[in-house]
Amino acid sequence: MPLLDIRNLSVEFSTRAGKFRAVDGIDLTVDEGEVLGIVGESGSGKSVTSLAVMGLIANNGRVVADKMEFDGRDLRTLTERQRRNLTGKDVAMVFQEPMTSLNPCFTIGFQIMESLKVHEKLGRSDRRRRAIELLEKVGIPAPESRLSSFPHQLSGGMNQRVMIAMAISCNPRLLIADEPTTALDVTIQKQILDLLLDLQKERGMALILITHDMGVVAETARRVSVMYAGQVVETRSARDLFTHPQHPYTGALLDALPERALGKRRLPTIPGVVPGISDRPNGCLFNPRCRFAQDKCRREGVPLFPDESGAARCFYPLQVTGGVAA
Amino acid sequence: MFRFFLTRFSLIIPTFIGVTLLTFALIRLVPGDPVELMAGERGISPERHAELRAAMGLDKPLLVQYGDYILNVVQGDLGNSVVTRTPVLDEFMTLFPATIELSVCAILFAMIVGLPLGILAAVKRGSIFDHSLMGISLTGYSMPIFWWALLLILLFSVNLGWTPVSGRISVMYWVEPVTNFMLIDALLSDEEGAFSSALSHLILPAIVLGTVPLAVIARMTRSSMLEVLGEDYIRTARAKGLAPLRVVAQHALRNALIPVVTVIGLQVGVLFAGAILTETIFAWPGIGKWLIESVARRDYPVLQGGVLLVAAVIMIVNLLVDLTYGVLNPRIRHGGH
Ligand SMILES: Nc1ncnc2c1ncn2[C@@H]1O[C@H](COP(=O)(O)OP(=O)(O)OP(=O)(O)O)[C@@H](O)[C@H]1O
Ligand code: SF4
Ligand SMILES: [Mg+2]
Repeated sequence: MPLLDIRNLSVEFSTRAGKFRAVDGIDLTVDEGEVLGIVGESGSGKSVTSLAVMGLIANNGRVVADKMEFDGRDLRTLTERQRRNLTGKDVAMVFQEPMTSLNPCFTIGFQIMESLKVHEKLGRSDRRRRAIELLEKVGIPAPESRLSSFPHQLSGGMNQRVMIAMAISCNPRLLIADEPTTALDVTIQKQILDLLLDLQKERGMALILITHDMGVVAETARRVSVMYAGQVVETRSARDLFTHPQHPYTGALLDALPERALGKRRLPTIPGVVPGISDRPNGCLFNPRCRFAQDKCRREGVPLFPDESGAARCFYPLQVTGGVAA
Repeated sequence: MFRFFLTRFSLIIPTFIGVTLLTFALIRLVPGDPVELMAGERGISPERHAELRAAMGLDKPLLVQYGDYILNVVQGDLGNSVVTRTPVLDEFMTLFPATIELSVCAILFAMIVGLPLGILAAVKRGSIFDHSLMGISLTGYSMPIFWWALLLILLFSVNLGWTPVSGRISVMYWVEPVTNFMLIDALLSDEEGAFSSALSHLILPAIVLGTVPLAVIARMTRSSMLEVLGEDYIRTARAKGLAPLRVVAQHALRNALIPVVTVIGLQVGVLFAGAILTETIFAWPGIGKWLIESVARRDYPVLQGGVLLVAAVIMIVNLLVDLTYGVLNPRIRHGGH
């Protein structure tokens, strides 16, 4: 039984401009101790998906799913209190913006110890001891004296370490890291990523690593799902995805990797952006940007076609046809 | 932090010069002088009039009068009231506690009611409660104080007979003035019922005076809270699985209070302005009533000294507010990094 099992999850926001489906019928399964990568450009619905798993969708959003289970428990039928006992304890999350994700009015120590108080019911001195251990674990120097620091006194990288310490404080079985390194300097990015993966291995927790950087998932994830405009457009093992991408969008993302563009004068990019609320096309959502789009792609919605090693949402997958127009 | 206070202090001197100049000039623009008003209906002979004016130094050129006044002020002498002949500072000190008592109760009332209402409106954004609260607070904000006071008096004092109309305590009681704060003095005295009498005298004026700050605080709390509730760290707090009450009352409120405290500090000026009307309506023997009477009697020293002292109080309170601001906001307390 997978640890997290989600079928046909959709999240719909009511906005002034009307209803907007930010997440459109995605499936997501994560096994105990597994690293799942979710890749996609800005606006493809990665954050909304993870917030839906956490139960943190804003009031104007509606979450529906055929199945939404964590460790065999149906998340849809839990009471709010039961759900809260799960979030922050068994399922934790690290966010994209370390500088704004910590409360500026409270000390680092308070913010870490708070989870321990709420979920683990630890006494004051135990909480303090654990907080120091956690800070040490995530590589913060002089952890004891850092307890009384405020977030604005720390750098972005340090704050992200604090966020990670906070997230793992109650030994979660699933950690969702939503672009944990995007806001950081390149040199720090690698450190934070390594820290996350070390912790994942050491504790055997499952990790959903969300990123828009194909290169990051290449080295880390066992399985990868590629998201586009609220849908999963391709999912398979990292190795197969990198050697034999099926969906043109995945192919384009891979082509945009600097290490694959060796010898080319300019890095290939995908022209255009992910369609937003007002410009979702008919048919395949990727068709306005797809080099291989045919008439059928502009007419008919595309289902997810399963294949030997995964699934791709494309009528004319790359490896099979080599791209019709290519 | 130190530089911050240095800039604040450097503003004090120009402010004082402005205040003295303004009150000095304005009161002399009003026709009539203290001598004439003391003489009243009986009238006074021109010789005697001139004599008395000379005794008060009012015959000197205005600039000289102002210079004399400032010289005295700098030496800590605010002069004596021309009516009662008591030093202005002494009168101020005896009357000031009454005004503080009223203002403190008014602002407490405004905070105790306004903060929760504002928080609730933000949490229930867009609900009927939110819309009606914002409507009512706009009304409260723009309501003329004297009209509102009369309305409350009509209802609670005249029709229902619940509260007295004027003064600080019923004449039945004699309370030893220890602190000059009637509520405290009444508690200290062994007269039975003195405290509840003092309290019932205080309620209506405090509500009247607290209405505008209440509206301001409720609106400010709401908008500040709304902004904070959309912040990333609130999402983090919820992602920790904290109960909604804890998220709002601790994580959000602490941040939302920072601008609210500033606004509350700014209300001090509004309170003094309101106290002048409120004290006059409820015959509350405080600074407001005293100042109004000093205008009526052309009691130049009282008006000049009184306004100066009020200005000093406002500046001190604003400084204290800035200090609180630092306590609430760690980014100010510790500076950047
Ligand atoms: N509360 C909301 N109300 C309306 N629309 C929303 C809301 N939250 C997100 N969206 C929309 O949902 C879409 C997907 O957003 P999401 O944040 O999941 O993208 P993302 O893949 O995480 O992108 P990024 O890489 O920029 O983080 C966006 O178009 C966004 O505008
Ligand atoms: S379905 Fe057509 S438009 Fe969509 S990705 Fe495949 S080829 Fe491109
Ligand atoms: Mg995102």
